[in-house]
Amino acid sequence: MTAKERVASVFAGEKTDRPACFSGLGNVTTAGLEKLGYKFAEVHLDSRQMAEAAVSTPKLFGFDCAVVPFDLCVEAEAIGCEINTYAHTEDLFYPTIKEKVIHSEDEMDLSMPADVAEKGRVPLVCEAIGLAKEELKGEVPVGSYVLGPFTLAGQIMELNDLLKLSFKKPDKVEALLDKLADVIIAVLKRYEKAGIDYLTVREMGATSDVLSPRIFKKLILPNLKKIFAEITVPSVNHICGKTNPIVGAMVEAGADAISVDQRNEIIKTREELGPDALVFGNYDPFNVLVSGTPELVEQTINKCLDDGVSAVWPGCDIWPTVPPRNFEAMMDAVRNYAR
Amino acid sequence: MATEERKQEILENLKNAVIEYDEDTAREWAQIALDEGLKANDAIFDGLVTGMEEVGRLFEEEEYFVPELLMCADALYAGLDILRPHVEQLDLGVRGSVVIGTVEGDVHDIGKNIVKMMFDVAGFTVYDLGRDVPLDKFVEEQLRTDSDLVCLSAMMTTTMSGMEKVIHDLKEKNPDCIIMIGGAPASQDIADKWGADGYAADASNALKDAIDMVSSLKRLKQEAEAE
Repeated sequence: MTAKERVASVFAGEKTDRPACFSGLGNVTTAGLEKLGYKFAEVHLDSRQMAEAAVSTPKLFGFDCAVVPFDLCVEAEAIGCEINTYAHTEDLFYPTIKEKVIHSEDEMDLSMPADVAEKGRVPLVCEAIGLAKEELKGEVPVGSYVLGPFTLAGQIMELNDLLKLSFKKPDKVEALLDKLADVIIAVLKRYEKAGIDYLTVREMGATSDVLSPRIFKKLILPNLKKIFAEITVPSVNHICGKTNPIVGAMVEAGADAISVDQRNEIIKTREELGPDALVFGNYDPFNVLVSGTPELVEQTINKCLDDGVSAVWPGCDIWPTVPPRNFEAMMDAVRNYAR
Repeated sequence: MATEERKQEILENLKNAVIEYDEDTAREWAQIALDEGLKANDAIFDGLVTGMEEVGRLFEEEEYFVPELLMCADALYAGLDILRPHVEQLDLGVRGSVVIGTVEGDVHDIGKNIVKMMFDVAGFTVYDLGRDVPLDKFVEEQLRTDSDLVCLSAMMTTTMSGMEKVIHDLKEKNPDCIIMIGGAPASQDIADKWGADGYAADASNALKDAIDMVSSLKRLKQEAEAE
């Protein structure tokens, strides 16, 4: 099976030759960047560099996907936020929002740009999707991601205010999330047109570490439903942290699969959701993949599969400094895993 | 001077104002406490902090989540702002200063602010560097202020690795400085490996650790007064 066939089979609920090992979140590696001679701070700003960096992970390690972009600022930038790429340093920093567009409660009725999918780096990411597809010749799937409305709201206004207002003025927050859902839909439609094979929606701001399951169901779920109803490619709903209390709601949102991190008890999730639900997860991409030994990597991957994940998938973005031998240990583990 | 019964009533109201995240009530009862001759320290530790201890319990039981916690903190600060100018310095042997901030590349500061709040309550001098703070700034600020503690926070895995260098630089320049790291990706392993003196994994642990710290201060205060 090619990686593309394997991942397509996973989404179709069909058998695969071996467990799929891929991600819907960023997975560029320092090893890949070094080989290409690219600086991390620059790959976010150039479609060719972005595509080549994304493609380097499957090429170097046999990973079952390539994913663009690598940062979480694309939608916020399209709305009008300024970003910081930390160009001054050689160290690894992911871009962050330098200037928010909503500074107070009164500014929450901000209107969104009509042609938001043509703003900021959305066209650049689309170009990168096209280039990555060309490079991979249909053998490896190309994925992308968008933020969920609540997480995006936390990018364009103070998270502190957003959290308090979701309690004190839920109507105002609801209205904002509804508008942001439309922005997200416009962006993901553009990614679909560019040819992505699957899409992940990252709503990690709404994890049960932060928000009560009650507020999740009331405020977050309706907008996630609205978004997943519009997605035509295979879709994944990603939330990290303590997710056991909301896995049912995550499925209800309408994605083809859910993605959870190492803090989810997969055995319980499997019991709750049944054998057919697609649950992707759930190794710790830092404490296992980056700072663990190859033995720990192998044990962890085997445990994920024993516990019942539908595909081996990281709990968060893969931190670029992953040692190649650990990445290889992960790929070996899925190849050797006997079901 | 308020009667013991009245004093308890005032403390109870301060406590409840924090639990019920009611800033106005916290302000009102903090003023009443001063007007009726309560010691500011008692109003803080036996009123506001007792409330925050209960909030910590509610958070742990998943009755409260982060939004509630932030609102409770606002209520605590509302009372604290009124009481603090009247605090008599207690000699508890632990008074100190702290440099605190979120490391460069990370713009999340909720956990950091919760920890900062407890330092404020405990009467520490807090040098808050804010968020997305260049690493050298921590070292610079520690040397400038000669603070006893440095607290580094990072919420994302992707920003935490910068901490290692700061810890190394700080320990090299000032081996006595106590360093605490916090954030979702932090662990005892990482704290040990990088030479930090303590860690808190997330906002709830940070809150718990911070409350434990203030609770111990409260005990010290009671012991000092009993003597």
